[in-house]
This record gives sequence, structure tokens and C-alpha cells, in this order.
Amino acid sequence: MTPHTEEILERCTGYVLGNLSDTELGALEAHLKEGCPACEAEIHRLGRGAWAFAAATPRLLEPSPMRTRILEGVLRESREREVKKGQREGRRAPIPFPRRRSTPVFGWLAFLAAVVFAVSCVIEWRAASRMQRELSAAGEEVTRLNGEIQSERQWTAIATAPQTRVIQLAPTPAGWAQFGATPPHVRVTYDSATRQAIISASGLAAPPGKDYQLWAITNTGPVGLGLLHADRDGRATIRLPNAGDPFTLSAFAISLENEGGAPTPTAPAGPVVMAGKSGT
Amino acid sequence: MNGQERDRSCLEGMRTGDTRALEELYERHNGLLYSVVLRILREAQGTEQVLRESWLQIWRGPGGYNVARGNVGAWLLTVARNRAIAWLKSDGLPQRAEPAAGGDVPAPTEDASANAAHRQMSERVRRALDVLGPQHRQVLELAYFGGLTQGEIADRLNTSPGTIKSWSRQALVRIGDLVPHEDWT
Repeated sequence: MTPHTEEILERCTGYVLGNLSDTELGALEAHLKEGCPACEAEIHRLGRGAWAFAAATPRLLEPSPMRTRILEGVLRESREREVKKGQREGRRAPIPFPRRRSTPVFGWLAFLAAVVFAVSCVIEWRAASRMQRELSAAGEEVTRLNGEIQSERQWTAIATAPQTRVIQLAPTPAGWAQFGATPPHVRVTYDSATRQAIISASGLAAPPGKDYQLWAITNTGPVGLGLLHADRDGRATIRLPNAGDPFTLSAFAISLENEGGAPTPTAPAGPVVMAGKSGT
Repeated sequence: MNGQERDRSCLEGMRTGDTRALEELYERHNGLLYSVVLRILREAQGTEQVLRESWLQIWRGPGGYNVARGNVGAWLLTVARNRAIAWLKSDGLPQRAEPAAGGDVPAPTEDASANAAHRQMSERVRRALDVLGPQHRQVLELAYFGGLTQGEIADRLNTSPGTIKSWSRQALVRIGDLVPHEDWT
């Protein structure tokens, strides 16, 4: 396996923006094929930003006839390619017809047999093509599921890793004022080896126009880890590929911010309502 | 079934040749794909050609989607964006020096029906980039919409490739943190 270096990790930014040189792209893809959880996590995290950046593009109305032209064109071209593929495969295995003299009756029988044989060949070929397509689709599905399983394994491994810490966040005085007698429950499961963390919360519905924001408190100050969007029941489960360096991380905290989060990623603008020491 | 589940269900349907699944996925995502590709190419004929090639690739290879890398919409966007950049860089086509800015597209009309979620996301991204500084936006636009490599961007902005990498990453992390988890996975 190619060694995992900072240089390779840095290429993940260019990978999600699609602006690596061919050499850099080839090296990173070869590295990813060998399976690298750190690079996959980085691509997952940065890819989210690239998608959001592109998705914020002003929407333009496509000309109405374009839809029909594109969809019909896709299906027509797909069929044509299938036919051409079939013709190529058909040419590869020509059916030999031996020359021989025969009586007219026997000739008709031979002709009939040849027709039956040709028809059965076509049927067989179509069945084989269908099975080949199904096999190809099944193979792609297996690859996709393997990727999914690998990703899930990485996250479930956090729960059983010996270096994992479970940090329960408690309300601060500002938090008690905010939540009253029923504060939310927030737990951070943090793996200091991989720096991955899972945040589980209940009873954390933000007031209208507000967002809860998670912070890592480090020896150089707070670092924003993202917004906590709970469902309508106030529950949220969030996975962080990189929650911070265990040697500098001292606590996790949650602040109540205006919608969209604090203006700077290094300081909460709103009150810190929950906090918990990381145990280092 | 939420939007992500519907998208994955469409890909499953396309594996078995279900054309209605293709149509549904098209309805759900082509508006964004069209807007992004047109912004890159700035001409309608090439945009339609790129979109047809992109949807053909998606129809013939839905297995190319890797759930570990993000949502279906992001994959569709990557397919279309990469084809648009390849089209832009291919021989015999007019090259341009600058990526299209938001108001620079000779496109017909803005889609007034764009939903509230999209408007909210646009506003959040704009605010996030305002906080970081204009150079972060410029780097992302040159990379994503202009197809420039990190080295080319560094030359253009008269700075080092390391700085470009740093600005790119800061911006992507900052913007990515605004995306609700359920919209991404």
C-alpha cells in the first residue's frame, strides 16, 4: 500500500474541486483504491463544501424542449449502443454452414433446421446478453455496497475502540437559563486515534431563527465543528470525520447562534449553553 | 421517503432499465445541472450536448455512485461538471480566460420557482464566503467553474500553490459545515 502522507491528504481538496493535475489525480486515485479511511473522510468532509458551493449557483430556467430532446436522446443513443454491441458480439461467432449436395427434400429439411438453429441462436444470444447486463449491474451493486459497509465499519469501530472517550455535555449557567428544568442530553463519542466523533443529542430543538453550533475547545481557542440540526423531535446524530487533535483538545461546547452559525469559525458569537471536558 | 432515499431508489430503478426512474431523477436535479454547466460553458448548444452526454453516462452507469462520498445529487453534479470542464478544454472550442461570474451568463431567465431551501443555502454560502474574504470565493470559482489547476490559480493570483490549497480547504470546510447532515448522507 502507498504510504499515507500529508501531501496525499492535501490533494483531497483538489480532488473534490476537480482541479488536480493528471499526475496528482492518478496518484490519489491509486491511493484511494487501496483503501484509506483518512483520505475518504477528508473527501467526504470537503465534498460537502464543494457540493454546497455549486448548489448555491443561481438557478436558471432550462428551455422547455430541452428536457424531451435530452431524455429521448439518451434512450435512443443507449439503444443504438446496445444494438452495435450486439452486432459486434454476433460477428465474433459466425455460424458455419457446411456445403454439401443433397436432394431437394433433404435440402428443404436442412434449410428448416438451419432456420430453427438460427432462431434458437438469437434467443440464446439475447438471453446471454440480458444475463451479462444483470451480472454487470450486480457487480456494480456489490462494489457500491462494499463501499457503504466499509464506511459504516469505520464509524461503528469508534464505539469499541480502546482510546474512545464518551463526553457528556452539561448545561452552563447560560444553558440553564435557556433550557429551564429540561435541558437537552448531548453525548460526544470521540476516538482520539482517528479523531472521529459521533454526536448524539436529544431535546435539542433550536428556537426559530437560531442554530446550535458545536465547538472544539483547544489550547489555541475554539474551533467551529458545524451546526447541529435536530429533527422535529429534537434528536440529532452527527458524524465528524475530524473533531480535532487530542493533544490540543480540552473540551467540547455548544453555543446558541443566529441562523447560519457564528460569523467566524474561531469564536462563538452567542452564549455557550453546554460544555463538557474531553478528559485529557 | 425523503429526498436522498428517493434519489437512491431512482438509481436502483435505472439499474433495471426503468425509464421513469431516469425521468424522476432528471426532474429533481437537472435544474441545478443546467445552471452549473451553462455557467461554465456560457453557451446553450454546448450545454445541451454536455447534459445529454452526462445523463447518458448516468443512465448507463448508475453503479458509478459511491455512497461513501456523499449524496446522489453531488455525484450527478460531479459527472456534469467534469464533462463541462472537459468540453471547455477540448480542442477547437473557444477558450475563455475567466470563469463565468454569477451575472455573466447569457442565460435566459432566473428560475423564480427555486425553492426556499435553495435560496437559504445560497444565502448561507454567500455569508460564509463574505466572512472568509474575496480571495476564497475567487479560488473556488476559478477551480470549480474555470477548471484551473491549483498551480494555474497560484500563477494567476500571484501566490503560492500552498496558499491556494489552504484557502480552498478553509472555504470548503466553512461552507460544508453549513450543510445539514441529513442533506448530505
